[in-house]
This record gives sequence, C-alpha cells and structure tokens, in this order.
Amino acid sequence: MSAGAIAAVPAGTVSPRRVAITGIVLAVLAWVITLPPALVRTPVPSVILGIAAVAAGGFAVAAGERRPGVGAIALGVVGIAGAILSTRAGVGNLKVVFTWSALVAAALRYATPLLFAALGGIISERSGVINIGLEGMMLMGCFFGIWGADVLGSWVLGLLVAAVAGGLLALVHAVFSIHLRANQVVSGTGINFLALGITGYFFTAHYGPNGTPSKISQVPNVKLPLIQHDGFFGAAIGDANLMTWLGIALVPLLAIFLFRTRWGLRLRAVGEKPRAADTVGLPVLRIRYLAVVVSGMLAALGGAYLSVAFVGSFSQDMTEGRGFIALAAVIFGRWRPLGALVATLVFGFSSALADRLPQFSQTAGTLFQALPYVLTLVAVAGVIGRSRPPAASGIPYVKE
Amino acid sequence: MEPDAPPVLELRGITKKFGSVVANDRVDFDVRSGEVHALLGENGAGKSTLMSVLYGLYKPTEGEIFVDGKPAEIDSPATAIALGIGMVHQHFMLVPVMTVAENIVLGQEPSRGGGLLDLGAARARVRELSDRYGLAVDPDAVIEDVSVGAQQRVEILRALYRGARILVLDEPTAVLTAQEVRELVSVLHRLKEDGTGIVFITHKLAEVLEVADRITVLRRGKRVDTVPRQGASERSLARLVVGRDVVLSLEKTAGRPGEPLLAVEELHVRDDRELEAVAGLSLTVRAGEIVALAGVDGNGQHELVEAITGLRAPESGRISVAGRDIAGRGVRAATDAGVAHIAEDRHRRGLVLPFTLTENLALREYRKPLLSALGWLRLRLMRQRAGRLLREYDVRGGDTDTFASSLSGGNQQKVCVAREIASDPKVLIAHQPTRGLDVGAIEFVHRRLVAERDAGRAILLVSLEYEEVRAVADRILVIYEGKIAGEFPPEATEEELGIAMTGAGKTSMSFLASSPDGELEG
Amino acid sequence: MSPEDEELEVELAGDEHVEAALRSPARLNAYVRGLGGAVVPILTTVIAFVVAGLVVLITGHDPLSTYKAVFNGTGLNWLFPWISGSARTTAALELQQTLIETTALILVGLAVAFAFRAGLFNIGGQGQYTVGAIVAVWIGSSLSGMTPVLHITLAIVAAALAGAAWAGIAGVLKATLGVHEVISTIMLNWIAVWLGVYLFQLGGPLQDPAQSSVPVSKTIAASAKLPVFWGNPNLQGLDIGIFIALALVVVFGVIINRTRLGYEVRAVGFNPDAASYAGMNVGRSYVKVMLFCGAFAGVAAALDILGWKFQLFTNDIQASQIGFLGIAVALLGRNTAIGTVAAALLFGSLLTGTSERNLDPTVFDPNLAQYLTYMIQGLIVLLVSTDLIALRVLRSGRGIAVGLRRRRPDRAEAAASADGASTGGTP
Repeated sequence: MSAGAIAAVPAGTVSPRRVAITGIVLAVLAWVITLPPALVRTPVPSVILGIAAVAAGGFAVAAGERRPGVGAIALGVVGIAGAILSTRAGVGNLKVVFTWSALVAAALRYATPLLFAALGGIISERSGVINIGLEGMMLMGCFFGIWGADVLGSWVLGLLVAAVAGGLLALVHAVFSIHLRANQVVSGTGINFLALGITGYFFTAHYGPNGTPSKISQVPNVKLPLIQHDGFFGAAIGDANLMTWLGIALVPLLAIFLFRTRWGLRLRAVGEKPRAADTVGLPVLRIRYLAVVVSGMLAALGGAYLSVAFVGSFSQDMTEGRGFIALAAVIFGRWRPLGALVATLVFGFSSALADRLPQFSQTAGTLFQALPYVLTLVAVAGVIGRSRPPAASGIPYVKE
Repeated sequence: MEPDAPPVLELRGITKKFGSVVANDRVDFDVRSGEVHALLGENGAGKSTLMSVLYGLYKPTEGEIFVDGKPAEIDSPATAIALGIGMVHQHFMLVPVMTVAENIVLGQEPSRGGGLLDLGAARARVRELSDRYGLAVDPDAVIEDVSVGAQQRVEILRALYRGARILVLDEPTAVLTAQEVRELVSVLHRLKEDGTGIVFITHKLAEVLEVADRITVLRRGKRVDTVPRQGASERSLARLVVGRDVVLSLEKTAGRPGEPLLAVEELHVRDDRELEAVAGLSLTVRAGEIVALAGVDGNGQHELVEAITGLRAPESGRISVAGRDIAGRGVRAATDAGVAHIAEDRHRRGLVLPFTLTENLALREYRKPLLSALGWLRLRLMRQRAGRLLREYDVRGGDTDTFASSLSGGNQQKVCVAREIASDPKVLIAHQPTRGLDVGAIEFVHRRLVAERDAGRAILLVSLEYEEVRAVADRILVIYEGKIAGEFPPEATEEELGIAMTGAGKTSMSFLASSPDGELEG
Repeated sequence: MSPEDEELEVELAGDEHVEAALRSPARLNAYVRGLGGAVVPILTTVIAFVVAGLVVLITGHDPLSTYKAVFNGTGLNWLFPWISGSARTTAALELQQTLIETTALILVGLAVAFAFRAGLFNIGGQGQYTVGAIVAVWIGSSLSGMTPVLHITLAIVAAALAGAAWAGIAGVLKATLGVHEVISTIMLNWIAVWLGVYLFQLGGPLQDPAQSSVPVSKTIAASAKLPVFWGNPNLQGLDIGIFIALALVVVFGVIINRTRLGYEVRAVGFNPDAASYAGMNVGRSYVKVMLFCGAFAGVAAALDILGWKFQLFTNDIQASQIGFLGIAVALLGRNTAIGTVAAALLFGSLLTGTSERNLDPTVFDPNLAQYLTYMIQGLIVLLVSTDLIALRVLRSGRGIAVGLRRRRPDRAEAAASADGASTGGTP
C-alpha cells in the first residue's frame, strides 16, 4: 500500500503523504532501536527520531494530509514513550520479551484463526452481505471441530465437521439477510448469540463439567526441512502449524479468484451493484448465498484452528471476539486478501507481544491482554474513510 | 428498412397488473429489423413497465411475446439476452468501480484455462465493436471516472457484445448534452444499417420526430396509436400523448422586483469527488421575483443549492441573504437568515418517511419558540399548526398523525412546500419542485410559487424542465459547467436557451413540461 | 426507483397494506408501529421458544416439563393466588431474584434502545456496564462513613458518568472518523474486561487486601447498599433499584417523545440526510445518544453492585453477558419504553428460571439451561432482524380468518423470476 502510494508520486515533488509515511517509519524506528538486537540504552536518539516523526506529521497535517499526519504524530509520541520505557527496563527482560523469532512464531499462531475468518469476511462482504456473525461461525468451528476430531478420531474429519457446522450457521445468516432482507448487522448479532448458545449447550451436554478429553487428534505442525532449526527462521517459521501455511496459501488463491477469474468478477459485481449484475443475467441471490456459506466455512476453520490445532481443547466463548478483530482486519486490509494478511499479522503480533510482556510485571501484564483490542480500534479509526467498502454491502437485494 | 419485413420482435396483447393497478392494458407493439420504433408517452404511461416485461424483469399478467415469429417465454434478463434483446437502461446498470471492459463482458467473460479472465481478449472485442459503430470508449477507464455519455456508450456496447439484434433505449437523451445526443443519433443510424431493430423510449416529441421511423403512443397503459413519422407533427403527437390539446399556462402578472435578498458572488464549490462543480458563479435574486436556474442535470446545480442552504461548505466566495453572510455556516445559519429549501428529493432529504405529518411539518422550525421551549417540544402547538397547514395546502390522504410514507407523491410534496413556506423565508430555493408530480400537483406548486413571489419573497427555481422555467420565471439564468452561461427573459426561445445550456449547439428539450405521471393514482 | 414505481407503490399501499409493507422498509416500519406493535414481538418470542424447545427435545428432554420447571423457577407463580404455604415463600424469593435481574436488564436494554433510535447499534452495553461496575464498587467501597443517600447517589452518578465516557469514545469515533460503532464498541467491551481483570486480580491495584487469595474487589460499605423493601436483605431481597430503573424508563420515554433531543435523535435514526437538511448536527447527536446509552448501562451496573452484588469478582467480569442480553431486550421491546420493560421481565425471568439456584435439576440440568437462554436470545435477535417472518405468519393468519386467500401474482412472480435467475446465468 505505502509502496504504491510512494511510487505514484511524480519524481521531484515533495508529497505530504510521503512525508507522513516517512514520519511513521521514523516513529517506529524510534522505538525499535532501543529493542534487541540494537538495544540502544539511551533515549536521546529515539527522542530525536520521535520529534522528527511528529514534525513530519505536523507538516503533513498542514499540507492537508490529515489522517496519515495525525498517525505520524501519535506514533511519534508513542515511539518516544516506548523508547524511554525500554531504555529503563532491564536488558535481560527486553531480551526475553523481544526474542524476535519467538514473537514471529507466536504472531503467526495468533494470526492464523484471524486470517481464515478475515478471508471469509472478504468473500461475504465482496458479495454484498455484511457478516458480523463471523464470531459465531468461528465459535461453531471451534467446538464442532474438536467434537468431530474427538468422535471421528481424526483432525481431518474434525476440520470437515467444523466447516460444515460453520457453513450451516452461515446458511441461516444467508437466509435471513438475503431472502428475508434482515438488517444484516442485527441478524449477524443474533447468529453470534445463537452460536454461543448452541456450542455451550452441546459442549455441556456432551462433555459435562470435565471438558474435552485430553487426547484428541490435532492438526500437526510442519517441520520445514532445509532450514536451520536453531536459527532465526527455524524458530520463527520452522515449526508452524499446517493450518498456518494453509491460511497463507489461501491468500494468493483468493486474490486470484477475486481479481483474475470470471467468478471473482461476478462476485464483486454483485457486491457493488446487484441490479447491474441482475440485468446481465447473473444469479445475484445464489451468488450471495454461496459467498456467505463459504465465508462461514472459512471462519469455522479459523475457529477450529483454535481448538483442534492450537489448544487441543474447547472452552465456552473460546473465540473471545476474534471474529470481530477479523472483521476489523477486513476493513483495515481494504477488502483485499493481501491486506487482510498484513492486518491479521499486525493483530497477531500484538497478541504475541501481549503474551510476553507480563515478563516485566505480572499484574500489569493482564492489562496488555487488551492490546490487540486497542490496536484494532486504533487501526480501524486510522484507516476508515480512506477505504471504501463494496457499495452494496449491507443492502438486501430486492428483485423488481 | 423494408416496410414489409416481418417483425423481429412482437408483443401481443400485453397486460400487466400490479394489484388492482393496470400498468399495461392489452398493448401491441412490434419492431422490425433495421428500424427505429419510438415508444412515446408521458411518465407513468406504462412505457417502462412494457419494456421490463420485454426484458424479463416483470412477468406479464396476460399476453404473448414473439421473437422472429416464434413465441418466447422471457422470464429473466438472461433469457432476454439469449434471445438477442439488449437494454440500455435509463439509470445505467454499470458497476462504478470496474473498468469499461469489465462491465461490458460481465456475465459472458472471455476466459481461458478454467475461468481465468482473459481481459486482453475482452479489450480487443470492445475495441472492435467500438470502432465498428463509432462508439468511442477507453476499455481500461473506470466507469465512475468517465462522462455520462461515455457510460451510455458502454451500455450500448454491452448489449452489442451480447449479440443484441433488438436494442431498447429507455429515455436515452435525458442525461446527454446536445453534442452527445448528436453522436447517439449517428450511432443509431449505423446500427439501423446493420439491421438492428431499435426501440426508442421517450416522452420528448422533438426527439421522436428526429430519429424514429414509426411511433407508438401509450397513454394510461393503453396503446393509443402507431403512426409513421411521415405526416406526424409535434402537435398531432402531443394530442395523442395527452388526449387533448395541452399548453401549460400559468396566469401571472409581471413581477415587481424589490431589493436583492439573495446574493451569490464568485462562488466555488467542490462536489463529493473533490472536483470543482461550481466554478466562480455569481447571481442575485431580488424580493418579489422568481429567478429560474435552467440547465442540463449535473452542471453544478446540486452543489450550488447545497451551498446556499448550508448543506455543503463552499471553497470560496460569498453567499449573503438580506446582507447576512451565510457561506459555510451550516443549515441553521441559513435557516435563521431566512432561507427555505424545497428539496430535490423528498424521500432522501425532504421528509422523514416514518415520521408523522406533524413531525415532518416541524422539521424546519422545530427549534423556534413556536414549537419548542427549553428543549421541550410543544406537541399541542405542533399538531395544531400541522392541522392548519394541511388544510391550507389541501393535503389529502392523511391527517396530522398519518405517517408521511403513506401519502402519495403529490401530497408528500405539498407537505414539503407547506413546511418551507410556513417558515416565512426571505429566500425560497425550489429545487425541481414538481419532479414526479401529476398535472394538478404541478399547477398547485407553480401557483404557490407565484403567490409567494407576490408576497415579496425571493425565489430561486432550479429546474431541468424548459416549459416550467418559461412558465414560472421572471428571469432565466442558464447554468453550464458551474457558471452562469447567460441570462434570458421568459420569452426566450427554446433555441436560445438550448445554446446556452450546452455551451453551444441546440439540445432537444421537453415539449411537454414535466409531464403528468399521476394518472395511476386514479 | 423511478417516480413511476413510487406512485405504484403508493397505490399498492392503499390497496393492500400488508403486501405493500412487505415491499418497502419505510412502510414496513410504519405498519409495524401502527398495527403489529405488540403482536410481532409476542409471535417472535413464541417462535424462539418453540425452536429452543425442539433442541431440548432432540437432546432427549421433555420441553414442556422443562419450560414448566423454568417457569416455576422464575417465581412468577407467586402471582397465582392458589399458591400458598412454603411454595409461596419460595416463589416470593424467586420472584425477588427475577425482579433484581429485570432491573439491570431494563437499563442495559435502554442503553441499546436509545442508540437504535438514533440508528446506532450499541453492542457495547457490556463494556459500559463493566466500567460502571468498576467505578460503582470503587466508590462504594472507598468512601465509608458517608450518609447513605449521598453515598448511593455519588456511586450511581459516578458509574453513570463512567459508562457515558466509555460509550462516548465510540460516539466520538463515529461522529468524527466514521468508525462503525459495532466494531468500536465490541473492542471497548474487551478493553473494559481486561481493565477490570487487571484492577481486581491477585495483586491488582483495587483487589481486596483482606482476601489476598481471591481475585475480587473490596466489599462496598453499608452506607452504599441500596435498601431492600421486599424480602430478606440477607437472602437478596428486592432493593429499591427497580424503582430507579423504572424512573429512568420514564425519563427515556419522555426524552424520546417529548423533547427536542428525542425528536432530533429519531430524525437522525430514520433519515440522517433529512436530519441534516433540517439543520440537525448528525454527528453531535450520535455523541449525545451514546453518552446517554453509556449512562444507562453504568446505572445498571451501579444498581447491581449496590443492590445485591456488593463486590466484583474478576471471573464475573469475564463471564457476564448482561450487555448482550440488553440487545435482545431492546430489539424485542421495539426500542420503546414499555416494550423494554416487558422484554426485560421476560429475560429476567429466563435468567432466574434457568439459574442453578432455582431450576429443579431433576427436570433439567441448570448448566444446560443457561445455554438455552443464550439460544432463545439468539433466536429472538435473529427473528427480530427481519419482520418478514412474523408479518407472513400474521398475514396468513388474517387470510385464514377472512376465509379467503387472495391470489398474489406479484409474490408468486417474484419467486418465479428469482428461480429463473438462479437457474439461468453461469455458462
């Protein structure tokens, strides 16, 4: 995104946008240099960098690029604060928390469920149906995935059961939002409650107070050959879960589908202007049904990752708002698969950080659990207005 | 054209009912290869319904359709397309964020290797078609960035791409400039030569005489007559269309303009896409006069009205009402200075449809002591005042507690007019105040405007209808590309105005003013 | 839509009211407000209970006896004059529980309903409630020795302000940057949860030092406890909170229907374009409304804390779903004052009736019953999201009653062309 924006600027002119982006980079740098491996122990260079970032932001705001400018200013301040904090922290602690390879590995773990759900969200919204129910569909996959893996004895079948369960719940959402012309946000909220009820009910009915058994078939990790397993890459990606790779592989596939195939073109047309799609003979409602169901299946796979691949058990409301973070990733990623991947990695990274920060202080660490949510809020606030959702998303299509 | 060629398309005895309303009543219509057959009628005469039946959007209650002499069951646009019927919709059916080529091929995309789009092939095909018929488009341009005329060309190309032998154009000139109309006519000629049968839907008589080979007139859902162009005149057609001689006339005395109440100076306003829509416009409206702002749609009228009424902040320039500067100060400042605004779109702006009439009638003045005090609504006064206004403006079909949504269009508009005039404004902006109204309601609105002028208000009438402008205004300003392109007396001829409205050249303007469409209300 | 179609629709509205209502949202809305007011929510509830009953049946229980046990657990049988003796005492206890739950539900319902009136979807009642609870328990436990009236008032007002501020963030983000309130309020919910857990966890800044091994706040002072007027204060009798809630219902109704603010809010909710045309500041209305919503949710939390909870556990913060129940309450109550009270009573009853304390475990496992409530909640929200279902049921009912089902060519036709479209297309 930023690279494109920079490339678009004709040579020789100073674009305020470019200045703002430079400011953002400086702000990030201000903090990063105080972390391993650089570990600068005095805040002075960071303060200088931070002030430069703020100045760049100020310039951009003055020149009319308000949003990135404000972003640069805010990040500049955060960068300075972060740098001061980390220069005061013990080197040992910093080294434990900011073990980059471990952070990357954790970020991938946290990003995977978000990625599946976000890709699902993209498909649904591109077809013109808002899917607030992603959370519920994830939760369905989360429970029915582990239930399937337990009962049928194989994680493959577990994932299959999860996808079917998520797809079925999505079908309910589809019927309501497409045929019954429901308010899609309200209907999606109902879907979320319903999923909470259904999963909790069957979980309690089937497993009782003991919870899921401990030995359930789990999605394996992929030991990458040809990689030094004690090096950075080895620790970061040498032992990632199969589903993580599947999710990442889905990104280019979905991008090609959306932007390079006839079906993608049709899907987007239906989401942008259904009446136009209708008049050239496209089955608007059927396309939407398919999109919503597929989105539910993907979200469910994301949920199943949590239980069948990551944790190996299920607990009530296990998704903890991840469906909504995925939704935010859809917006942040501008309804594009690659954008969603970047967004989920950012959110995943913040979760990974939140996991490791308690190193500094056990009590304050709890507070960091809120970091992904804060970041999501800030990200959505920062990006909105510059990204345009599919024009017909949220509007039921009524044939003449 | 061969006069005795068998019709490629024939509609026989088409009847379409909506509940108890008969939109089409046993209509016969046919098109031959290589002719332009105009379907003429007022708004609401049933033209669009008939074409929706033809295109598979509505299923006829009764009647049959024949294509190439064979009976055809057209139950969806897909079937219509397969039968070689192409439609150029009045409101373009294009996806704004996609390219010209993508829009043209959508639904029948050239592809290779399992569904991968072959945009190269699409581009080539688009170029080929556009060269053949003189429909200049850039296949890679994004629809929302190209002109309205170009969008229409894309629609035509899309139909041709699908192999249309019968092309239906629904009110194709409504949004075009004169130059674009001329280009369209020449394209139609080329299509005729190629053997395409063309249905040309319009309510503009002059156009019909220019392009049609045969003319079928619809009135109140029924086919009145089918006549050849030879021998037809505007007057004879007009009689067929309305069933009587109609001249829209309005009795009014000459205005007696007083001091200037609305003064706009060097106004610059940007539109939603940040393009300059109003480009250094100046105008003055005096007390006791009606100034009409005439022009083709999309020449900055919206943005000008929004700027004057406080809905949009201008980039620069001054707007003063009775000497008070209100530019960029918001709607409340404009209202307080004495601006009232009959909105162009009563459903989107003018009314809160789920509100009662009492609540709707209070929208402009709810903050004044008359209707609320210390943050409390004075509900009884609100209702009393609403009752009075409903009687005064003869609003039918509801009382003070009726929801606005359940009134007919004409009565909804009366509510809007009543509310705005009741605020006792110095300046009244009437933006297409008769759009979609029947004759009776149009007359009511026009009379009311003149009466308010005589009461000393300054009235700016923004209209796309030539006849309305001439009938109501004391002075006519023509807006073109965000500037005033000329000032005319009401006696100005259509030619004079047309030249100004298009920068140059003549445009076809409506002969019948905003034609009646209320007949379905019974 | 062309003017031609508009006129047609108007014509249809006069001709066949329900039919037209099915076609246009605006008219639907008017119709529902006009005629279907109470009928649609009741039908919705019945459908939801039937569907949930099916789930009960499928999983091998008897839905009728289950619902009967749930009903008995609500204490609503106290209203039956023939219940006497110890059964009556138990019923009274249970009814007090139900009304305590109802109190908070009314207020979180209002927090959602007010937002809906402005066209906003406040999913953040939970977070606003949490923040309110944190502040209420903090004030309630830290200023002992005050006069009760003052202490209680202070705690409630502070909780209201806290909730308002929390909701206000979402309002400001919506008004200034256009951030969709659904996303912002959901994120704020989770932020509030972790804030609360942080404060009251072991070693947290506000954790009760007297119970160093329990993650809980300090217990509020006696001066901050709401007086109980029905039942035993030691057995969670009914406190005066319910009157505060009912008073706020009146305040809500008056604001919405009688004040300039309410008029503006409703206009903004129905049609923001028309509202700004009338000179209203849409963004500012959003902020104002969210402030009210947050305040309602904050008071709900304060009444819970001061009325019967007295302290705040971290696992309570994490498990609470009350803000979400508020969504169902508001929607089922059609965002009206009276409707909210009725819907709150329904969900309050469900909560108590399915609670471990009140539900007869020999009939149905209370652990399961809790999820039955969520399911019913989900079904109700889902059903309320479209009025088409209930309207169709209504209409067919009417048709049978008249003994004459009109032929509806347009609907049949729409269905036919929809099918046609879905079979054509894709080569």
